[in-house]
Amino acid sequence: MTHVTDVKFLFTRLFALKNGLNSTRLGLRSFSHDADRSTQALPKESVTPLPPLSEPMSNLPPVVYSSSKSEDAHTEVTVLSNGLRVASEKKFGQFCTAGVVIDSGPRYEVSYPNGICHFLEKLSFGATHKFATRDVMLRELERHGGICDCQGSRDTTVYATSADSRGLEAVTQVLAEVTMRPQLSSEEIEAARQAVAFELDTLSMRPEQETILMDMIHAAAYKGNTLGLPKICPPENLNKIDRNIILKYLKHHYTPSRMVVAAVGVEHAPFVEFVQKYFVDMKPTWHSEEIDNSDPEVDKSIAQYTGGIQQEECEIPLYPGSDLPELSHVVIGLESCSHGDPDFVATCVLNMMMGGGGSFSAGGPGKGMYTRLYTNVLNRYHWMFNATAYNHAYGDTGLFCVHSASPPNRIYDTTIVIARELANMAGKVGENELRRAKTQLQSMLLMNLEARPVVFEDVGRQVLATGKRKPPSYFINEIEKITAEDVVRVARRMLNKKPSIAARGKLAHLPTFDEIHANMALTSTETPQGRRLNLFRA
Amino acid sequence: MLKVATNLRFISKQGNQIRCLATAAAYKQALVNVPPTRLTVLDNGLRVASEDSGAATATVGLWIDAGSRYETAKNNGVAHFLEHMAFKGTSKRSQTDLELLVENMGAHLNAYTSREQTVFYAKCLANDIPAAVEILADIIQNSSLAEPEIERERGVILREMQDVESNLQEVVFDHLHATAFQGTPLGQTILGPTKNIKKISKADLQAYIKAHYQPARIVLSGAGGVEHEKLVDLANKHFSGLKNTVADVPDLAPCRYTGSEIRVRDDSMPLAHIAIAVEGAGWTDADNIPLMVANTLVGAWDRSQGGGGNNASYLARAASIENLCHSFQSFNTCYKDTGLWGIYFVSEPLQIDDMVYNIQKEWMKLCTSVTEGEVDRAKNLLKTNMLLQLDGTTPICEDIGRQMLCYNRRIPIHELDARIESVTAQNVRDVCYKYLFDRCPVVAAVGPCEALPDYTRLRGGMYWLRV
Repeated sequence: MTHVTDVKFLFTRLFALKNGLNSTRLGLRSFSHDADRSTQALPKESVTPLPPLSEPMSNLPPVVYSSSKSEDAHTEVTVLSNGLRVASEKKFGQFCTAGVVIDSGPRYEVSYPNGICHFLEKLSFGATHKFATRDVMLRELERHGGICDCQGSRDTTVYATSADSRGLEAVTQVLAEVTMRPQLSSEEIEAARQAVAFELDTLSMRPEQETILMDMIHAAAYKGNTLGLPKICPPENLNKIDRNIILKYLKHHYTPSRMVVAAVGVEHAPFVEFVQKYFVDMKPTWHSEEIDNSDPEVDKSIAQYTGGIQQEECEIPLYPGSDLPELSHVVIGLESCSHGDPDFVATCVLNMMMGGGGSFSAGGPGKGMYTRLYTNVLNRYHWMFNATAYNHAYGDTGLFCVHSASPPNRIYDTTIVIARELANMAGKVGENELRRAKTQLQSMLLMNLEARPVVFEDVGRQVLATGKRKPPSYFINEIEKITAEDVVRVARRMLNKKPSIAARGKLAHLPTFDEIHANMALTSTETPQGRRLNLFRA
Repeated sequence: MLKVATNLRFISKQGNQIRCLATAAAYKQALVNVPPTRLTVLDNGLRVASEDSGAATATVGLWIDAGSRYETAKNNGVAHFLEHMAFKGTSKRSQTDLELLVENMGAHLNAYTSREQTVFYAKCLANDIPAAVEILADIIQNSSLAEPEIERERGVILREMQDVESNLQEVVFDHLHATAFQGTPLGQTILGPTKNIKKISKADLQAYIKAHYQPARIVLSGAGGVEHEKLVDLANKHFSGLKNTVADVPDLAPCRYTGSEIRVRDDSMPLAHIAIAVEGAGWTDADNIPLMVANTLVGAWDRSQGGGGNNASYLARAASIENLCHSFQSFNTCYKDTGLWGIYFVSEPLQIDDMVYNIQKEWMKLCTSVTEGEVDRAKNLLKTNMLLQLDGTTPICEDIGRQMLCYNRRIPIHELDARIESVTAQNVRDVCYKYLFDRCPVVAAVGPCEALPDYTRLRGGMYWLRV
């Protein structure tokens, strides 16, 4: 046996030598041959006392696999005595994702210094009253093969963990500790302050503009209220936010009635029991602490759509080492509808139909190459680098927008082309493009729900908003029902209001708000107003 | 095209696992809450492997045992060129027809090439699997390879090359391969040199398909709502026309490893990008599992994670507390008969020396004094990492396809679990002693790397006299 290996080994060296000589002859790295001799060859026998990975291990226990079963996603919801909702769903697999979804985010910060939620994201999964340091808690999660993260959007904050289902109790305890009994020591708050500052720094140095632009378009759309408040902590608030402010915010927003504890891949009954034990029977720390309890409570106002423009003249960093030119960015937004609105599904279909992406984006067929922003925009105007449609839906409103980027001297044309394309949404909807958009939306929905964390977030958000979860099949049917008239109706409804505009970069050529608005008027497809677009301008 | 990230991924993301305590309770049956992977070999040698989870969506793909390693200096780049031509139309349908067909199904078609594998896959609704398999069969058997498209694609690939050059991590890994496997096919890049891209012809492409797209070297892999019998029927229908025209898989010349270095000093860049590695194990080597545990012990970190003060990895703690680098990532890249095990880091010029010192100190500790407690923690992390990657039909399909090519089987998750569970601190020390201790490293550095210690000093850091 060893003999055979030796022969093979010898053979290897001969080959290597041959190759080495070859390269010498070709004048490539003539040192390689010498270097070869100085390197001792690795002994080929493995030092691990197991067969190679291509052969099965002996004496493993017999194994029982599960067979495929239809994943009839049924979500069970229980409301506990203090108003806390617990939702869970079973799912295939050894692991579960559990977390807390909270009705909290920058939209509620109007009477606080903005940026608290940004801080809270950085403070998440820190020391708590049970776990003296972050390390102790992470080790507890690690024992059950767990990982954790915290992400916030404008109106929702999500604390999530994925771990072995058998560690469910420990995971539930960790979740209760981090959301209701964090220590928030001054060291931790200082560390969070530094992390936020570091993030502000990197944000301003990176060529990607999406995060900043989304803050700007929301600020334009909901000027000074609710969803218009910034998600990124404003630099001037960095030093204003302290422990007392954060605790006051937590006391009013992290309350049982504003929270859903959800899990995917677990049994409902034991999960409810654990939640009762750690979330209800144990009290949050802000009941015992002395907190300045003056004026501000919870902002219950409804988002007011204002429209308008937010612009920032600045240098946009270049992609390092790339020959992409400097870009200017424009986002045009329109008020769409809330996720509870009857027109919500039609808006999503419209979003899919507009589609778009980057002109150099990777990926083969299937990335939306036949959506309108590709066929009508990116394929026609080669100087445009990006045109992508997004729809943000919230509990009381929604924002439909198109982000576009081009070199600064083309920003006028870019803006007008996008404005007209938006106006064009109220025009004719082709049968094929509608069918395609509907199928793509259905498949996108199902493909996203392959991943457990996505299912978790869907369950949590739906239960938080409506108290129950509609299964994917419900949305598949709703999508199927959408007609061309529905799409045109939602488009007209959106276009009836003033647009919101956000622009960043070199903006000397940016059209005025009125000019953009004029190009989006519902009649503009027949009688263009304002300056005529000349696409062949030098 | 190959993303280095693909390479960097831990080599085995083999499957969900449960801690079944195989050795302690061998009489127990291991219960695995995932479906089995089923395998059928067609008459022409094509392997069909699938895992049926009953989901509403699915991923099916072709994993082909062919890549830039099978190229010569003259045709280097042809495998990647073919990947680009795949979606440009076939004798049955034009490029537009193909694109519309896929878009209208709400499906996604994708392809990538690595040094040893070429992959084409489709993600679709479970009901559309027959159409997806037909499309995959069409693009690898009937690609039209029309001259005008070839000409157009040259430009696209040259553009892609610029993109790769702006991704410094990929540049460093290309240099690392070029020096570690100098004079052998593994030293070649996947894209190939510009002069090859400019002259690759239709005949070159056809010759490569003929030589390498042999059914015995192809795996049809499926995951999600895939019924195995139906997938086998589809494979018989669409692939039985493929014949093995070459008697055998060509005997791959073993690729010799050479401890050496490449430095591309450029003081105008703000940060240095550096990779240091030793020769690792081939795909099937049992040493790979302890090597991955060692990998996890070294860990990965970047500045956005902030206080790595509680990170399981010593190096992450040192890096965050002493501000040694912007990011680092340990890697274990495997090939058939060899591999590269090492670390990639990005650092300020003046921190390089300290970072390297800490890396080598950590490596030597792995060889000599790593403890059971540390190894246990790393084993747990490794399992978590591997299983969290297997969420969704595409990662599972990729896992099946890759493992079928590398191991000619899919390692059952309870076996993988048992293999990881059996790793001891002594085992990690033995393996690190074998691969790391007193071995010649390969080094690739790009950027302001003047402060990187010279090769003899780096070589000197690969042993301790106080063992």
